[in-house]
Amino acid sequence: MRRAALYALTVLALSPAFATAGAKQRTSMQAVLPYVMCVTCGIPLTDAQSPQADQERAYIQQLIYRGDTLAQVKGALVAEYGTQVLALPPASGFDVTVYVVPAAVVAALFGGLLVLLPRWRRNRNRDPGSGAGAATGPLSAPDAARLDADLARYD
Amino acid sequence: MKRRIGPVGVALVGAAVIALLVYGLAKQGSSRALDEALAAGRLPAAPNTTRTLPVLDRVSGSRAALSRWRGGVVVVNFWASWCDTCNAEAGLLEHAQRLLAARREGTVVGITYKDLTGDALAKIGRFGFTFPNLRDVDGSFAEAYGTSKLPETFVLNRKQRVVAISRGEITRLSWLTDAIARAERT
Repeated sequence: MRRAALYALTVLALSPAFATAGAKQRTSMQAVLPYVMCVTCGIPLTDAQSPQADQERAYIQQLIYRGDTLAQVKGALVAEYGTQVLALPPASGFDVTVYVVPAAVVAALFGGLLVLLPRWRRNRNRDPGSGAGAATGPLSAPDAARLDADLARYD
Repeated sequence: MKRRIGPVGVALVGAAVIALLVYGLAKQGSSRALDEALAAGRLPAAPNTTRTLPVLDRVSGSRAALSRWRGGVVVVNFWASWCDTCNAEAGLLEHAQRLLAARREGTVVGITYKDLTGDALAKIGRFGFTFPNLRDVDGSFAEAYGTSKLPETFVLNRKQRVVAISRGEITRLSWLTDAIARAERT
């Protein structure tokens, strides 16, 4: 019984989840880069080639060597370069449009569909003679006479 | 009438999105208001003179504004450690600082632009700068001067009005001494 408990404790202690539960998780360059912009070029740091971008990458590497987590690296970058270093800007000032405009466009499209779809459906039901069903209905007397006249020209 | 509301609404939304894009693009462009005022013979007021910035030193926490040096000539120089042309003109700026300090006429004030504190301090040590330096962390201070490329230098008179602008590297000491002399006169 005691041996089983000891075995269970050993397994638990060696499991990755247990080992990292209390400790901070060191990040990597691949994990950081998607969140970071080159502050002078205004493009993602992954694609940037400039002396300032090189400086940023070297600084991130230093922070990673120091054992910083992703959140700590982002915090240190913001302290040095401001919030513009982050790929996703903070939701304040003009930058709030980054979040508001796409949401508003989607909401407007959805709202438009909600309003227009029932109207289209209503119009279609109200006017059975229109659209694809038009050819299948009976012809009025003047239309029939005109059709006959047209066909007679090909005889 | 009802049928027109849909297309009009779509047109309005489209116009709003386009206006937003135009505003965003216009905001990214560099302002040349100071240059135009100078070219027209006016001496424009230096922007952001009362806004405080962190002082670039090893002891963090202190802040200063350009207005601290009001009453003397101020040579505002935007620089960064990653900027090679800034390094090329560093000697001229230090020379100007020594001239101003010797005559008690004013000071050079360096403002680092989108730069790491550690790297900027290392550059100060390497070039032996004796003038004060501030940190423009996000570049918004420089933006008011229309600065988006480095190095750039603005010479302010005693009333903190801009008398000369160099957008790019200063290659001649005479440009600085002439501008300082003009600042002293106005």
